[in-house]
Amino acid sequence: MSRVTSFLRQPIVVALALIVLLLYLGALLSPGFASGAQILRLLIVASLLGIVAAGQNVVILGGREGIDLSVGGVVSLSAIIAGNVMNGADIGILPAIAACLVAGAFFGLLNGLGITLLRIPPLVMTLGMLGVLQGLLVVIRMGIPSGQAAPALSRFVTQPLFLSVPGIIWLWVAIGILMAFMLNRTVFGHRIYAIGSNEHAAYMAGVPVRLMRIALFMISGMFAAVAGLCLLGYSGSSFANVGEQYTLTSIIAVVFGGTSLAGGKGGYTGTMAGAFLLVILQGILTTVNIDESGRQMVFGATLLLLMMFYGRGRAMRA
Amino acid sequence: MSKLKLSGVSKAYGATLALRRGDLEVMAGEVHVLMGSNGSGKSTLCKIIAGSVRPDDGRILIDDTPVTITGPRSARAQGIGIFYQELSLAAHRTVEENVCLAALPAKARLFVDRATLKERAARYITLFEGVSGEGFSADALVGNLRPDQRQLVEIMKALASEAPLIIFDEPTSALDRAQVERFFEILRDLKRRGRGIIFISHRMDEIKAIGDRVTIIRDGETITTLNLNETDAGTVIRLMVGGAGDMPASQSSAPAAVDAKDGAALTVRNLSGSGFRSVSFEVARGEILGFGGLHGQGQSALLRAIFGAGSIGSGEILIGSDRFDAASPRDAIRRGCAYVSGDRGRDGVISGRPIIENVTPIHYLRDRLMIARPSKLRDKVAPALESMHTKFASLFHPINSLSGGNQQKVIIARWLIDRPDVLLLDDPTKGIDLSAKADLFALIRQLAADGLGIVLYSSEDAELLGNANRILVFNGGSVSRELTGPERTRYNLYQAAYEAA
Repeated sequence: MSRVTSFLRQPIVVALALIVLLLYLGALLSPGFASGAQILRLLIVASLLGIVAAGQNVVILGGREGIDLSVGGVVSLSAIIAGNVMNGADIGILPAIAACLVAGAFFGLLNGLGITLLRIPPLVMTLGMLGVLQGLLVVIRMGIPSGQAAPALSRFVTQPLFLSVPGIIWLWVAIGILMAFMLNRTVFGHRIYAIGSNEHAAYMAGVPVRLMRIALFMISGMFAAVAGLCLLGYSGSSFANVGEQYTLTSIIAVVFGGTSLAGGKGGYTGTMAGAFLLVILQGILTTVNIDESGRQMVFGATLLLLMMFYGRGRAMRA
Repeated sequence: MSKLKLSGVSKAYGATLALRRGDLEVMAGEVHVLMGSNGSGKSTLCKIIAGSVRPDDGRILIDDTPVTITGPRSARAQGIGIFYQELSLAAHRTVEENVCLAALPAKARLFVDRATLKERAARYITLFEGVSGEGFSADALVGNLRPDQRQLVEIMKALASEAPLIIFDEPTSALDRAQVERFFEILRDLKRRGRGIIFISHRMDEIKAIGDRVTIIRDGETITTLNLNETDAGTVIRLMVGGAGDMPASQSSAPAAVDAKDGAALTVRNLSGSGFRSVSFEVARGEILGFGGLHGQGQSALLRAIFGAGSIGSGEILIGSDRFDAASPRDAIRRGCAYVSGDRGRDGVISGRPIIENVTPIHYLRDRLMIARPSKLRDKVAPALESMHTKFASLFHPINSLSGGNQQKVIIARWLIDRPDVLLLDDPTKGIDLSAKADLFALIRQLAADGLGIVLYSSEDAELLGNANRILVFNGGSVSRELTGPERTRYNLYQAAYEAA
């Protein structure tokens, strides 16, 4: 009996149940919401979010109030860089990927250095970095939309690639498998959990805590950059602050998936479910004609609600 | 006239009796010294008087009237002031504000009356005029002061309570001679005014200088109260040690003699750093070297510094015949040095993670592993845990599911997969049960027999006497005495810890 209830209490089970429930609710509100084609479309959007959330996930797992608020800015910047590098030509895709990854890693490195060497709290450091990135975007584009997605990139994101499923969803699945492997089966993954659970003990056991933390922020920047690149493929051209919404939603997806904001506890599979859940919620809100500002409010409230829900366990432990 | 009287006071934490029976009488106008070794129950006794711990049983009388102390506020209302050993100052406030912190003078019940505050604080600050050192003034920020100056502020704060009975728990540990002299003059003045003072110190010379009577606590029981001018240090120490103190450590448990021809595993020459100074010693392969002395005399600081987790000012460390100065624990581990802390919650346990992940970190590092394959790791982890009879249901259960003793075994097991050359044990049995202790020492002796050089710091004398070939007694950050062979007795250990400096 207790085994059943503890199974039902697992965040990932809760998230999956909510996914089914919301899909059903969506179908009631608008027939066809839960059709195969529509679910695929939702999954494409979910993969964009899920890729950003992968980086957010490792940063949060690493503990010490780890959080990356700059992901939204990196997504936007990456979309613009990619758009300008490839400029509508397939030949430019590889250079664009390289440029985006370098940019993402660079801003992640800056975050990591600020947090470890200057001891700036992650919240403040990455919030400041978000501000810098937003300013940088204005300077680069000077308000004019620029850059086009290469046709192959757009096809990869929006058209079926294999088994009538688009490439980006396969990419997301691959990232999911990779993350699960990294977190459970590699020394690096075990060290992420170690520094997230007890940083000092990890240090005394020879874990290079600072290097680890810098690496985590670089990973986060690179995942955000990949998402920005794919986002360009999804929308065709880069426009104002495309990535803005990802800061908040990536955090919600991670928390939804059962990763503790205190670090050291959770995983990526739950985060994937959390990302899908959020996207369905977003779809339903759109269906019932709630605009962007309304959706943001719902998301904000969702995060606070989740914190009340999951926060209880921690308060009891303390 | 009796200021405070405790009779038959006891306190248990779960199954452990921290205080079995506490009897104490403090007279008006006396300095009453409390003496006892680490964990004898004297701080529990003080906490009961100060109201931060409620006794399970017993009676407390103040001025011959029975009272119940319900908490620190109630203790203060009953006229009890306390000097805290762990500094309780507000670092970002000034000296005068800290001195008056317990009872800030108020205007209109709302605003702090600065003029009165200044005047009141000045009374206590001038008491230490001339000895308080450079940079000490009423409006200096406490955070900018030296440790001895902060301790003076703490004393002033206790004095400012103007309580009829004040407890001073090791008030002189950071003070220099002139400051101690001045402090004792102030205490003598308080005595003349009929105050009662409870004084805890580990320096025999200070106790002789200021104390009137001494109450000795051993194993949670107040043994006796003596007049200090009718007794000598030897008697006091003998009482603290108990009956068998003069006997050498029993031969059955003493370790085998070390064959020194194998050479030194660890050599430390003239090492100084924060918390310890000019320490030199050598540990042979196969030797267990004991560190003794009172708590916080530099033993832990030294061990952590060797392991790369503390700061070293000067001196040199050799492992084998190679120069060893680890920049970090990571570096130390790679070069064959191991460290087990008694504070496993802070330094050891990776909480919430599976047992197996708590054993493997050292193996990952020393074997430069990238991939963690559970099946392969299990073959290495299981024997390491079994060698200490660790009880666990599954390697994949969280470490928190184990008892304290078993958690500590897991932490030690992480050093057994790839054997180090030197093992540093920093009070490793703190808070673990007797059978776990026995398993642990059996293993430590086995490791020594296998040729490791082992340094054991323990706050329990029996552990040192039963396992160490030689014992270095620490006092004030340096080694005050070395005990070998038949010199290794509880009496000598205490004497070296208390008498020197």
